Amino acid sequence: MNMVLHELKSLRKSTVLWTCSLIAIAALYLSLYPGIGKDAEDFKRLLGGYPPAVRAMLGIRLDSITSMLGFYSFAFSFIALCGAIQGMNLGVSILSKESRERTADFLLVKPVSRVSIVTAKLSAAVLMLLATDVVFYAAVSVLANAVKTSDFSHKLFFMVNLTLLFLQLIFFSLGMAVSVFFKRLKSVLPLSLGVVFGLYLLGALIGAGRNDGAARYFSPFQYFRTDYILRHSAYESPYLIAGAAVAVVSILVTYTVYVKKDIHAVS
Amino acid sequence: MSVIEITHLTKSYGRSRGIADVNLKVEQGEIFGFIGPNGAGKSTTIRTLLGLIYPSGGSATIFGRDCVRHPEVRREVGYLPSEVFYYDNMRVVDLLRYSASFYKKDCTKRIRELAGIMDLDLKKKIDDLSFGNKKKVGIVQGLLHEPKLIILDEPTSGLDPLMQQRFFGLIAEENKKGATVFFSSHILSEVQRMCSRVALIKEGRIIRLEKMSDLQNNSYKRFHIETKGVPAKDAFALDGVSNLKMKGKEIDFIFRGDINTVMKRVAGLELRNISIEEPDLEEIFLHYYAGEGRAV
Repeated sequence: MNMVLHELKSLRKSTVLWTCSLIAIAALYLSLYPGIGKDAEDFKRLLGGYPPAVRAMLGIRLDSITSMLGFYSFAFSFIALCGAIQGMNLGVSILSKESRERTADFLLVKPVSRVSIVTAKLSAAVLMLLATDVVFYAAVSVLANAVKTSDFSHKLFFMVNLTLLFLQLIFFSLGMAVSVFFKRLKSVLPLSLGVVFGLYLLGALIGAGRNDGAARYFSPFQYFRTDYILRHSAYESPYLIAGAAVAVVSILVTYTVYVKKDIHAVS
Repeated sequence: MSVIEITHLTKSYGRSRGIADVNLKVEQGEIFGFIGPNGAGKSTTIRTLLGLIYPSGGSATIFGRDCVRHPEVRREVGYLPSEVFYYDNMRVVDLLRYSASFYKKDCTKRIRELAGIMDLDLKKKIDDLSFGNKKKVGIVQGLLHEPKLIILDEPTSGLDPLMQQRFFGLIAEENKKGATVFFSSHILSEVQRMCSRVALIKEGRIIRLEKMSDLQNNSYKRFHIETKGVPAKDAFALDGVSNLKMKGKEIDFIFRGDINTVMKRVAGLELRNISIEEPDLEEIFLHYYAGEGRAV
């Protein structure tokens, strides 16, 4: 428990920053909505001028873009990107920081097993992601209700927002699994940005190709398509399972490798 | 039961570094010295004891329990690394409390005591401390739970002489209270002062395991001889002679063995002057390392 508290304390500042940034992005988009909602037809005509491929890459659906939920799910792809970076960053840094900041010789000689160290750090990080998403959801709910031009389904709104947590958990566990293979990871951001943007672009290309099926498994950004959620009030279970599998396997890899890992002296 | 028992411990890193077939036993209440040059494998051995790295072969136990499988043995272990790094944005006292929270006992009083002895300001942020002061945090951190085994890895670097004095005082006191000390160093005078037994490690292998008293007493003599005539080149080609230097009429060497054999040779020479002294550990040590023509 002492380790969880220690981690929570050290993650506090960055979590607050990330939460504020996510809310700021959402606020920026939502503040545009009243105008779009009013001039819906003009806006649709404008977007209709874009090539269909570009629209698909940006996740714009002409039939729904001017509705509250349609517009929000368009904005949400950027929020999800940001959230994924937060998750990945957290995952890559949480275990590797002991080596990076050279505090491994402090923590790892304490009478605790490696397994309990991983568990403590994992729990602290997941708690922080949950806190981020709860605060974020509360804030966007207030904002969405403030800018809406007509009523929208709160259940669907919640379902769309819940995928933020799914994505963050997937990228968080992926980040941890990647980080344990490095002897000493000097900087976290290039790695996490690289992986997340890479998968985001891959996802956008897959999305533009419209080829449903196998290709979508390659990018977690394609696991939770908001247009499907809005139409069916459900998640696509194969991809939901794929996401869970990625997370579970990554966490297993993390435990297995970290428990056996040699912690070398600082040099 | 030995406090530390290392049997056939091997750790290879693929390259030449690492340790091979290290065997050691440290008994209850000892101050055990572990000396060797940098890169000889001292830290590798210690890191295995602490469960930081895993052996490729052999085993290491502390209080009879395997270091790898039983992390809880570390509850009785205090460790001071040669370089200390802590969470920069914490205050000293918070770090020490965090450290204490792993040992499930109240260490508040001991923290105050140790901080007093080491002259450490508990309210400062770790970030603002000098290297020497960080080292003091390390000392307090390593001793605050009154460990039964204290492992020191080159502990004195960065401490001024006064603090070194206090530090050795502290260690001696803990030892008197029953703590066993495992002390690695490449500074021989500190080992000489503290330890009852020493192991010499070189290129990953233990080359000698001796009682401090054996190492210093009798067995080694440093000879300095000045002769009247130029002596024959093979005048001291004897078993037990090492570090032989013959410069004209002056002869220097270290001798280990039956003193009579060397005295007979000396008696055959026409002497101008002779001195026979106890060599310090440094010289004995150099003599082991000179073996392969490597500078220490």
